[in-house]
Order: sequence, then structure tokens, then C-alpha cells
Amino acid sequence: MNVTLSDAITLGVQLFALFNVAALGAVSLVWLERRFLGRLQGRPGPNRVGPFGLLQPIADAIKLMSKEDVAPGSSQRLLFYASPILVFVPAFVVWLTFPLARDVVVRNMEMGLFFFVAISVLSIVGLVLAGWSSNSKYAILGGFRAAAQLVSYEIPIITMILIVGMLSDSLDFVKVVDAQATVPFIAVVPLAFVIFLVAGLAEVGRTPFDIYFAESEVVGGPFVEYSGAHWAIFFLAEYVNTFVVGILGALLFLGGWRWPFGADLPQVASVALLMGKAYFIVLVIFWIRGTYPRMRIDQLMAMAWKWLIPLSFVLFLAAAFQLKFEWPWWVLTILSLVILVVPVIVQSRKQRNPALALAARYAANAVVVQAKPRPAPASEDVAGATPAAEGTSP
Amino acid sequence: MISGLKGMLVTLRWLGKKNITANYPKEHLPVQERFMGFPGLLWDETAEEPFCTGCMVCVRECPTQCMTAIMHDNPKAAEGTSHRRKIIETFEINLNRCILCGICVDVCNFDAIAMSHEHELASFARTGARADLGLLLDLGRKFQEEVSWAPKGADRNVASVVLAKRAAAEAAKAAAAAAAPKVEETPVATEAPEEKPAAEKIEEGDS
Repeated sequence: MNVTLSDAITLGVQLFALFNVAALGAVSLVWLERRFLGRLQGRPGPNRVGPFGLLQPIADAIKLMSKEDVAPGSSQRLLFYASPILVFVPAFVVWLTFPLARDVVVRNMEMGLFFFVAISVLSIVGLVLAGWSSNSKYAILGGFRAAAQLVSYEIPIITMILIVGMLSDSLDFVKVVDAQATVPFIAVVPLAFVIFLVAGLAEVGRTPFDIYFAESEVVGGPFVEYSGAHWAIFFLAEYVNTFVVGILGALLFLGGWRWPFGADLPQVASVALLMGKAYFIVLVIFWIRGTYPRMRIDQLMAMAWKWLIPLSFVLFLAAAFQLKFEWPWWVLTILSLVILVVPVIVQSRKQRNPALALAARYAANAVVVQAKPRPAPASEDVAGATPAAEGTSP
Repeated sequence: MISGLKGMLVTLRWLGKKNITANYPKEHLPVQERFMGFPGLLWDETAEEPFCTGCMVCVRECPTQCMTAIMHDNPKAAEGTSHRRKIIETFEINLNRCILCGICVDVCNFDAIAMSHEHELASFARTGARADLGLLLDLGRKFQEEVSWAPKGADRNVASVVLAKRAAAEAAKAAAAAAAPKVEETPVATEAPEEKPAAEKIEEGDS
């Protein structure tokens, strides 16, 4: 295979542009998250640096870059400094296959979905290594938590990607988008989108699932010993990953740049449409962050293994039946809603039952306390002295 | 799960609400009238001088010993425009030491000191925490303008009132002397009515 100089230069320019898009997207998310969370909490958020605080992320970046970069003396220096890169590179490399519009892509692959799954899994290695090389108990606990969480939630997310691949009959992102020209997959399999969003939140460690770097439990998890630029790389990777969830949700479920207009728009408009959808999903993610408290790790694992994975398998079977028997697409919608309703009912009954049982137990154990009658005043003269007590005295 | 969606609605509703925070350095929330900021020295407008005589009661009672005061003879007392024989010359409060306890206000016999509303006096200067007499009087005057401050012991401490009282007493004494059958006192009796209206004038101006 011959690689000419112009090919290499083109690729270099493309990669540079892509890196900037990803980094800019991530930085914009930092600003957006802080402003949006502020609004949700009745405060303005950062509003001093630049108009509307737009330059705040840049000020933060300058601060982080100029910070002293400390490593613990007992750390494995090579791995300690390599692991942020191991986390960041997969987050960035998956962008190679994301089409922002038709032909606006660095390298479109027929196996794009598979490529995404294969690469995104790699960031676990970086997190575990970061935890191990820090030589800190919090870091290693956080690393283990990251491994457990990310491995668990990969199964539902991969199954959802697989369902999308089945429905669109391709693993190529462009063809997936083309398959949604009339009906986006969120309408075909709403449950798949819900599972995708929940598992995606867990994959990037957004708030209800930020178990592995929970400040109050493992004081920052794998990142606890990092500072300055290396910590900034982790931070950037987290936001790039959040943006990846947004873009992926827009491509796989919201119809990418095709739905609701059907035909292809001009390229700029296509990119804007896709970005709008991606930012919408990201806003929903921030909204969830502003609402829910963090889960416990056992709740997290229970949610993955007791709910999301069985549900995703059932949904997978439903999609397979729909394709096999060539039912119309709305049959799958109904099936998916039914599959969603069943656990909701079961869960709400489960939540209600312990409360009822507790109330019943209290009722059974309840002792009726009867007020003892107050003894009548003993001495006669007291009874005689107070006219109110006269009736009780014989 | 349903309750979870309700929670999402609760947070969403905040999007339409106004911020509950103030844009602090640009916008200051009003303090309550009884807010206790740093102490300030009050100004007696009737005599155009501070109430403070430099008696050092507050200096001695201060639990953190943050105050210094020096008194001197009041020139206005010699002129007769003030009843204070002594008046404050320098007064300094170390704001770093002051714990805003208000004991100085409680012990003051002259209504001279009050807890002002000022609480943002941080400065970059090394000596910025030293509030001198000028600053303290500024704080006090600002405080007097902000709240409708009235002296507790007006009959003791406000110059015009005390002077009027004294003049009235003098006049009464003179009148009594005039009423008494003594020949020598008659010229004094003619002086006394001249003084009295002047004192009343000051009193009216005060109210």
C-alpha cells in the first residue's frame, strides 16, 4: 500500500481538525455543564471570565497547565504518566469514524460501530493502571471500581449498538443514519435508547454513576494522585467521552443528520443538526446530573446485572423476531414499551412491599397504651378544699 | 421510577425561575437594621463634634483590646458651644482584632459608639486593618444616615439639649435671685431673658 506525501498531509490536517473539534466540544461542555447546572440550582454559574463566562474553561486550562505536576515518590513513574494518555487516546480515536455529516469524516469504516466498541473499551486499562501505579489505596479502589463498572455496563451498551446494527443491517455509521431517514430508531426501539443512555452515563462516569471517582468515598479514585496537566488530560477525556455519548446517541437513535428532514441538507446544516441533537443529549445528561444523587456501588452493579443486561437481551430477542418475521416497525416499538413497563411495575411493587410489610409489623407489635385513671385525692380536706374534686370524693 | 421522573421535573422547573443568588461584588444584599458590623463613632450634629469624650471605658472593656483612645480638652467647651469638657483626639480600632461583640456599645455612657453596618473593609494595605478616627466617624455618620438613630441618653449627651438645660437652670436661678428682694441682682435678671430664647432656638434646630 502506497502512502503518498499528500495523503499523509491530508490525514495530518484531518486529525488536527478532528482533535480540535473534539477538544473544543469537550471544553464547551465544561462551560455548558457549569452554566446549566447553575440554572438548575437557581444560580448563574461562571459569569466573570469573558462574556457569559465563556472563557472560564480556558482560564481553568491555563491554571491547570501552570500547576506543578506532582507524582508520589512511591508511584510507578512510567505507568503513572502513561495512564492518562491511555485513557485519553481511546476517547479521541473513536472520533475517527464518527461522521458529522455525509463525507465529513476522517475515515468512514464499514465496521464503524465495531471499531467504536473495540476502541472505547480500552480506556478501562488506563483507569486501572492509573489506580495501580499511584500506589494509593483510594486510587486502586477506584481503579477496581472502574473496571467492575465499565465492564458491567459495556454489555448492555454493546447489545444496544448491536440492535441498531441489526435494524439498519449495517455497522457503517453512514448507513445507520441513512436507515433512519423516515423513522429514527428512538421511535422504533425507545427502550434501547433508554438503556443506551443509562449505560452510556455509567460508561463515562457521569453523576448518578460516578462511583469510581466518587469524592466522598474514594476521594477522586484513580485520579487522586494526579495534578496539573495530567489530571487535565483525565478531565478532558471525561468530557470528550460525554460528548461521544451525545454524538453516538444522535447518530444511532436520533437519526443523525437525516431525520426529520429525510433528504440530505447542505453539509454545514447537517453538521449543525447533528451537533444540535448531540448537545440535546448532553443537556439531558447534565439534567440527570443535576437531579439524582450518586448510587451505591451495589445498587450500581444490581442495576447492570439484574435490570439492564436481562432487558437488553430480551430486547435483542424482540428485535431479532421482528426482523425474522418482518413485522412492521411499530410492533417493535410496542414490544419495547411493554418490556419497559414490566420492570417499572415490578420495581414499584418491590419498593412498595417493604414499606407495607414494615407498617404491618409495626401494627402487629403495637401495644395499646391505656391511660391509667388518675387516683382520686386521698385526704378529705384537700377534696373539700377544692370544689372541682368534690364530685370524686365519696 | 415514576418518582424519579418527578424529581427530574422539579429540577427542570428551576430553569424558568430567577437566580436566588446575588451577583456579589457587583450587587450587595441589604443588611438588616440590627446587623452588627464594625463599630463606628457617632457625630453630634448640634455641636459639630463627635459624642466621644475619650473616656476609655470601651478601651478597657474590649475583650480583644483592639481599641486605643486619647482625649484632649475640648476647645468648644471653652467657647461655650459644647458641654463636653474633654473630647476625643485620636481613636483607633484594629479591625483584625475586633470580634464585633458590641460590648463597647453597651458600656459607652456617652452614646458615642455604635455597631455600624460596614462589614467589607478588607484592603491590600498592610495597615489597612487600622481604622483611625476619620474612618470611624465616617462609619458612624453613614450609620446614622442609614438608620434613624437616636441617642439613648439625649438629655445627658446631646450638646444642644444639655446646653439648653443648663441655660434654663441658670435662668431659673437668676429668676429666683431676681424674685428675691436684693437690690444688687437686678442687672443679672435683665441678662437672663436674653439667654433663654437663644437656648430655645438651638433646641428647635435640634428637633
